[in-house]
Amino acid sequence: MEVQPELNRLAASFPAPPPFWKEFTEENLDRISKLRVSQTFDNLKNFNPATTLPLKLLEPPPELRYLQPPDPPAKGQYRCFGDQYDLNIPLPSLDEQGITSLYTPPSTPGSDGKHGDRAFILKRLAKSLLLNFLELVGILSVNPDQAPEKIQDLRTLFINFHHLLNEYRPHQARESLILMMQDQLEKSRAETKGIMDMKGKVESILEGLNQKQSIESDKTREEDTDAPVIDDGSDVWDELEKEFG
Amino acid sequence: MADRLTQLQDAVDQLGTQFVASIHFVNNRHDLQKLSQKDIIREKDETKQDPIEVNPLPPDEFKAGQRELAQDLILKEQQIEFLISVLPGLENSEKDQEEMIKQLEADLKVAEEQRKQALKDKAEILTTLEGVIRQIIRP
Repeated sequence: MEVQPELNRLAASFPAPPPFWKEFTEENLDRISKLRVSQTFDNLKNFNPATTLPLKLLEPPPELRYLQPPDPPAKGQYRCFGDQYDLNIPLPSLDEQGITSLYTPPSTPGSDGKHGDRAFILKRLAKSLLLNFLELVGILSVNPDQAPEKIQDLRTLFINFHHLLNEYRPHQARESLILMMQDQLEKSRAETKGIMDMKGKVESILEGLNQKQSIESDKTREEDTDAPVIDDGSDVWDELEKEFG
Repeated sequence: MADRLTQLQDAVDQLGTQFVASIHFVNNRHDLQKLSQKDIIREKDETKQDPIEVNPLPPDEFKAGQRELAQDLILKEQQIEFLISVLPGLENSEKDQEEMIKQLEADLKVAEEQRKQALKDKAEILTTLEGVIRQIIRP
């Protein structure tokens, strides 16, 4: 019984999640966000969510230490599933990997060429995939011995497709950044506008009150009684009701 | 939801899986054919489990299966082409992007300033309003 789970873990096609996933309970998440707020409060003035990562807690309680995100790789090297990766190594070209390149690199990434031709090549590759599959089925039905060659072609096509697609990723990242910035800009402008609208409203109310008040005070002087003071208050509330009710 | 590139990548991988699945289906479920009159189709040996044993489907079911697989292939292909055509920013070059980002950064700074000013104004107007309300209550 003791050995059984161990065996299962080795036989699984995907590794089990790291054991600390159980620490991410709602209770713990709540606690850490409270801790963060309490530690952020001191330097709240220069706190900028765009540039600051979630605050590094200096001394997280031991049961919360797994909720603390690790430092980003300092030298651009990181490990994933036991393999070492380096962010600074550029994507190797197809030729370097010994794969036939089926397309002329469309305006080497980094120049200012348009990307329309890239989409065009992708579409062509997709069509070739389907066509080659059709040919493969045909070959299989006539002479299966020749199939491996065709399978090799399909493999080359798939790898080419993936490669072209992954070359496009930096472009998409920039595109997403632009979208996010536009979003933020809109939000910020909407907020400003909302505040300005409110300000205008309040100002107009105050103005209305001032006029009323001056009329009332004129009256008060003439009549010289206590009653108008109470009226004065109800006028304000009437006015407020009109605006916000 | 994954970004479009990842969706496209997944779609292409699925297309590959469908290729394999289609061939597997045709390979395993096809009808047995007599090549000459004298051929006899062997009785299936139920006791022996041959992993590559063909397990024929009735012709109409087989045809329907083929049709479905073929349709799925075409559908996937169309999906892939659609995903390609909606890839973000196909018409932008890297220079355009950089300019746009710079422009947006400047705009954002201005907007942020305006927002801060507006917040200040808001605080001011709130104090004024509070003062007025207090005046009303006190007498």
